[in-house]
Amino acid sequence: MANKPLVYALSTCPYCKRTKRFLDNHKIEYEVLDVDLLDDAKQDEVIEKIEKMTGRRSFPVVVIGSEVIVGHDEEKLKKALRV
Amino acid sequence: MSEQKPERVYCPVCLQRFRYMPGWKAGDLVICPICGQKLRLEMTGEGWVGSRPEKGTDQEIRDRVDEFARLRGFKFNDMKDEVLDGLIGKNKRFGDFYCPCRMEHVPEYQCPCEPTRRGDVLANGKCYCGFFWRKDRGAIDPPPRP
Repeated sequence: MANKPLVYALSTCPYCKRTKRFLDNHKIEYEVLDVDLLDDAKQDEVIEKIEKMTGRRSFPVVVIGSEVIVGHDEEKLKKALRV
Repeated sequence: MSEQKPERVYCPVCLQRFRYMPGWKAGDLVICPICGQKLRLEMTGEGWVGSRPEKGTDQEIRDRVDEFARLRGFKFNDMKDEVLDGLIGKNKRFGDFYCPCRMEHVPEYQCPCEPTRRGDVLANGKCYCGFFWRKDRGAIDPPPRP
């Protein structure tokens, strides 16, 4: 895959963990940003970006190419990743 | 003139006051009927206040959420242990048991969060996090009271 999927997550969010586990189980390389662990300035910047992309402040958000998946949704992940 | 007895107990978790029941005395353990927190009663200059006898322990949050579910007739689902892990992680990183699915670490999102206490579960079938479920949608009952 040209660009690795990017996961915006909260370090404590159980659904984010399920998404990470799903990607791990399918041996998908991805990048992850635990938004709650960022410093305040970076956090504001990332949250603004997420809100622009999704219209809300909900996690996880998975960016796969031009596709944005909000929440842990295995069917959407499978389709977008062709697994 | 008889002294008027304070009638409410302050809960430091949900930040609400609930009715003081006749016969309660300082040192007694009671359950906050609003959020399910176990409290030890103390009389202060401000009136009756509950303190958290197991503050910050895993047992505290486990007991609180089970008690809250019993009080409201809610259920859990197979996410229960994962959400509890998230709550314990919030406490370790951010100092208290805030909702693990939200960014904000503010008192109104102390679990059970204010929207949950105010009726979100009945309205939506579940809380924001999918932790507490309405009886007709959840699968796992809280354990019986010890």
